[in-house]
Amino acid sequence: MGEDLVLDLQTGGTEPVVRLLNVTKRIGNRTIIDNLTFDVPPGEVFGFLGPNGSGKTTTIRMMVGLMRMTSGEILIRGRSIRTEYEAAVRQVGAIVENPEMYKYLTGYQNLLHYARMIPGIPRKRIDEVVELVGLTARIHDKVKTYSLGMRQRLGVAQAILHRPALLILDEPTNGLDPAGIRELRDYLRHLAKHEGTTVFVSSHLLSEMELMCDRVAIIQAGKLIDVRLIHGGAENGGKAEVLFEVDRPDAAAEALGGAVLRAESGGIVVSAGREEAADINARLVAAGVRVYGIRTVTKSLEDQFLEVTGGGRIG
Amino acid sequence: MVDFIRLVRNENMKIYRRLRTWIMFAIMLIIPLGISLGAMALEADPDMWFFSYLEAEVVLSLITIFAVIIAADSVAGEFSTGTIKLLLIRPWSRSKILLSKYVSLLLFMLFFTVSLLLFTLLVNGVLFGSNGEYTYPNQGSRSYIVYLLSYYGLNLIQIIVTVTMAFMISTVFRSSALAIGLSIFLLLGGNMMAALLSLLDKPWVDYVLFMNYGLSTYVSGGTPIPDRPFGFSLAVLAGYYVIFIALSWYVFRRRDVAA
Repeated sequence: MGEDLVLDLQTGGTEPVVRLLNVTKRIGNRTIIDNLTFDVPPGEVFGFLGPNGSGKTTTIRMMVGLMRMTSGEILIRGRSIRTEYEAAVRQVGAIVENPEMYKYLTGYQNLLHYARMIPGIPRKRIDEVVELVGLTARIHDKVKTYSLGMRQRLGVAQAILHRPALLILDEPTNGLDPAGIRELRDYLRHLAKHEGTTVFVSSHLLSEMELMCDRVAIIQAGKLIDVRLIHGGAENGGKAEVLFEVDRPDAAAEALGGAVLRAESGGIVVSAGREEAADINARLVAAGVRVYGIRTVTKSLEDQFLEVTGGGRIG
Repeated sequence: MVDFIRLVRNENMKIYRRLRTWIMFAIMLIIPLGISLGAMALEADPDMWFFSYLEAEVVLSLITIFAVIIAADSVAGEFSTGTIKLLLIRPWSRSKILLSKYVSLLLFMLFFTVSLLLFTLLVNGVLFGSNGEYTYPNQGSRSYIVYLLSYYGLNLIQIIVTVTMAFMISTVFRSSALAIGLSIFLLLGGNMMAALLSLLDKPWVDYVLFMNYGLSTYVSGGTPIPDRPFGFSLAVLAGYYVIFIALSWYVFRRRDVAA
């Protein structure tokens, strides 16, 4: 009965895949993670962003049960990682830090090892995953002969072997070349979009997160600073923040009514798509406002990040 | 249950897919073979039972060292290479994962000792056969094979205690070097320490772990501690065993993995 209920909630599609509730980790009298609370919605690529030493890896370790929480709760699809560990972690595939595999075994033997630990993974699935990550040619070689990029691929392979609802990757682009990063990015987006996998990636690379994620949580010194949508513009039908340089911002704002996000010195900022921007321009001109320039001002995540973390000092 | 066997198969794979295991296996067989070949050249009328016993005496301590190395690496090795993280994030409790490691370790010891027994009997049987005159000390009415099996069995108990200690150190301190070092020190220095400690006329001395080593003397009518019955030593070893196991599981279940 309880199982059915949980499944119903899952297929509802809006229940968060991961919920962190007041998660705190203290070691000695140092607070590593301070009262972290946020939800990860299903089917998104969710970024976990913070400078080095801000507690990203510690949080991930608590999410997969490698570390205990001092207080708080983490639920994976409604299952507590503390009290229902096996049921909770069954739905998770992860790489924590580097994908460390058994070097004296072949790639295939490594995958076989992890496949044996979860019932119902046929050999065919191993072959399928190997194909997917593009390791077919080298899978029967020992892992000690693999390059870092190949180990990363093998790491992804073991993480998705059991088709987890949640894929957790800790700094997945470490050690990958630009082509590898791009491939991983496309692959993660594919997983989220077509297989409904929720992907949770941590990184300190801002530009990377911007390209990869739907949403990011930003932490610093163990505290959650902000959770924000990245592709908000794209999701709203290609809208972006557009700055109109005008001679009289007040008059311009009046002409446009509530559409104005904010007025700045020498201009107004509105949220608009390409065509709308042209329309707004026409309305401003019709209202007798002089328009000197029109440009989009969407801030990069980097700007936002530096803004909220105050320059990204090591916390 | 079937699923748990799969965990043990994983641990077995990690033991037997490594070259070092087979090097150990080869060394374990080459030493008795060398002794037997040497005996063939030197002795007038060698006996298979005498040499099977002698070779067991030599090589069983080597098996202890090999098993200690495997035990020490079993848990500490996963921590030092970082593979412990990917191992633990599976739908298995830590207790069962540790148990699968321990079971594979026991299987390793069993595999090696049984191989040694069969190999020495085979080699000495083929090379020498029994000369019909030699008897084991205090053999009485027991057959050769029962005597030899008792000797192996008593040694195996002692090997299991030593290896469990190495496993415990490996789990608690996550250091294979410490586990190997301490266990071998106990193995080699134990006799000397025992001799020194027995000079002390204190009652607690008899409860020290290595004072009760040497169970195998029981096969020829002795006991590890002269004025204590065999059961006493067995009970003391059992007590240490329970502590080693309890400590290993307690620590492994609770530890934060930050490797």
